[in-house]
Amino acid sequence: MTSVCLYFEVHQPMRLNRFSVFNIGKDNDSFSTYFDHKLNQNIFKKVADKCYIPMTKLLLDLINKYDGKFKVSFSLTGTFVEYCERFMPSILDIFKELLKTGSVDLIEETYFHSLSALFDSLDEFEEQVQMHRQMMNRVFGYKPKIFRNTEAIYDNRIAKKIEELGYKGIITEGTEKILGWRSPNFLYKPVNSNIKVLLRHYKLSDDVGFRFSAHGWPGFPLTADKYSHWLSNCEGDIINLFMDYETFGEHQWTETGIFDFVRHFPGETLKHKNLDFVTVGEAVERYNTVGDIDVPWAISWADEERDVSTWLGNDMQVTCFNELKDIGQRIKEQGDKDLLYVWRLLQTSDHFYYFSTKGFEDGNVHAYFSPYDVPYDGFINYMNILQDLKQKVL
Amino acid sequence: MKIAMIGWEYPPFKVGGLGTHCYGLTHSLADKNLTIDFYMPKTKYKSRSDNKNLNIIEVGETEIFPYDRPEAKELAGQFFESVSRYNDLLVQKIKGNYDLIHCHDWLTMKAGIQIKEKTGIPLVLTVHSTEYDRSGWLYPNEWFINIEKYGMEKADRIIAVSHFTKRVIVEKYGINPEKIFVVHNAVYPIGESEKKNIVLFLGRLTIQKGPEFFLKAAKKVLEYEDTRFVVAGIGDMLPNLITQAINMGISNRVIFTGRLTEEEVKHIYKISSVYVMPSVSEPFGITALEALSAGTPTIVSKTAGVSEVFRNCLRVDFWDTDEMANKIIALLRYSALSKTMSEQSKREIELFTWDRVAEKTIDVYRGIV
Repeated sequence: MTSVCLYFEVHQPMRLNRFSVFNIGKDNDSFSTYFDHKLNQNIFKKVADKCYIPMTKLLLDLINKYDGKFKVSFSLTGTFVEYCERFMPSILDIFKELLKTGSVDLIEETYFHSLSALFDSLDEFEEQVQMHRQMMNRVFGYKPKIFRNTEAIYDNRIAKKIEELGYKGIITEGTEKILGWRSPNFLYKPVNSNIKVLLRHYKLSDDVGFRFSAHGWPGFPLTADKYSHWLSNCEGDIINLFMDYETFGEHQWTETGIFDFVRHFPGETLKHKNLDFVTVGEAVERYNTVGDIDVPWAISWADEERDVSTWLGNDMQVTCFNELKDIGQRIKEQGDKDLLYVWRLLQTSDHFYYFSTKGFEDGNVHAYFSPYDVPYDGFINYMNILQDLKQKVL
Repeated sequence: MKIAMIGWEYPPFKVGGLGTHCYGLTHSLADKNLTIDFYMPKTKYKSRSDNKNLNIIEVGETEIFPYDRPEAKELAGQFFESVSRYNDLLVQKIKGNYDLIHCHDWLTMKAGIQIKEKTGIPLVLTVHSTEYDRSGWLYPNEWFINIEKYGMEKADRIIAVSHFTKRVIVEKYGINPEKIFVVHNAVYPIGESEKKNIVLFLGRLTIQKGPEFFLKAAKKVLEYEDTRFVVAGIGDMLPNLITQAINMGISNRVIFTGRLTEEEVKHIYKISSVYVMPSVSEPFGITALEALSAGTPTIVSKTAGVSEVFRNCLRVDFWDTDEMANKIIALLRYSALSKTMSEQSKREIELFTWDRVAEKTIDVYRGIV
């Protein structure tokens, strides 16, 4: 038997306001001046209509239709939950109903979908994991057992910390960089700690996430029937299909047939006698690890390189990251809660993603998701905000 | 293939991007084994060819400065007489032993059309700018528009230097889009040297190029940053600009260089920290490519043709001098920004070769020869 483990990442960043050098030092209310609340609200409502509401309802229907044999897992970022609470609490109600079916697992992550795991010390990272844990408890009364870091950023140090924090498993990318010849379709153990690692099958995941509507791709058009045959032909204990939740209805529009694909997917998969579904929590209960993985340098699920160069690949990104670290130290010494919250919102990985200058292939993906004309505009804006924040903690 | 190309400026004599374009294009075409006779007005400078496939033929004794708009909008006077005489001489001189005639802009159109009608040789016209651009879209002159329109109608193929210009040709001149092809410009890389604390404007000081917006942004920048602004070039707005700088109280931080030699132009590109091209209307904007090729981070007008194709630059609305100042200050303050932009743009500029321009131009020729 091979288990299919579906997991979705649900996230919306707090996008920034246009902030010019002339705004530096002019306004005390950082939260209102740094973030473009109107734009954020509009985008959130748009994505909610196209993806969050229809897709979550569809999943609920499917779980009921297949008597709980169809299972999914989610991770919801703190910023996403804040958006829901502020603009559309009904979305959280659908997620709560999903959780009640018993066929759904929730995953822990940093509250702010942040890059804090890359700081020199993991204290801030740990605080944000705790914040997410408290939020999960407050909103869902749930305690996740599996952790996934922002954009699946992972190294030995992070794995060790996650073990210390009491989690049973951690999710990252099934890249050849750490596997070599080995298959991602098994659980592995970090070389330095005693938890289980779930590895994303990036080819099959991206077949849906990136290639679903690509006419030039040999797999086009992708049907649930065809896809479940591919799954059925896989060897191993588990196939981890991890993708952005916004794939469904936002990156791949309704017109591409993505929802029809999802509607038929559980039935087609369950037709195969050698396949079933598991949540991430069940996966670590059911399967044993088959080997060690050793990851001294951080990997991620992003871009071709599968490293952290997406966020820290050029001088602009490194400069901002270092300034951000320094400012945080001072804010913590000062103890201003509002500034601390704003500082943490600025750690969200998306801000750094917007001023990546990676080559054209990846650059095009970046451009699609960016609110800026060119990466340089993203940098100028972010850097101006950092200068303003810095003045406030001097 | 043998081409009669008719221009009006060519290095060392040049006033704008057109001379640069003709030099790059003729040399790359000649390298691809086309034979080019390049006709131009005789000037006090002597233009020479260093390629056996390229002949430079000087006609008459005319000296013309086509871009400087006469202050008074009179169409009489020496300038128009010499244009007309140059065209008449061309018609007498060019005989029928060519596969194709290639003209540039309105000044040579009359000759191009007459030669086409006399000999039946097909005519290609490159549009580097239109009357709408040169007037900054304020009071464009009907007389120029009519000449341009007539030439565009008669040409068998039109090459536009940007999609922006193609749109103007279709929408303002009513020309069939199917005979218009876009070929973006290129640059011979200038190379780098150590940067100084200088923000540069370089171009004709005319309404089209937006130098007054540069000065307005300079005023705002100087309230925050200590830097120098250089305005390089000449044009009918020079006296007004000097007065403007004095009135704004920034004349001690703004340097007006007047006309620069080619060597001086290269030097100023190389040592500047920021290049700004705030054009009101810019069909392409070769100067932006020149600055970028000197490793100088560049801010261009959103509507400029160059911003359709070049990714690693900053874009502003020419009238938004607050944003222009914001970007200038960011480039002066944040070294990570200028360093990254400089590195990325040097890589991208390598795609903008005259060889590529020649290839695309030959594709256009092949459609009618």
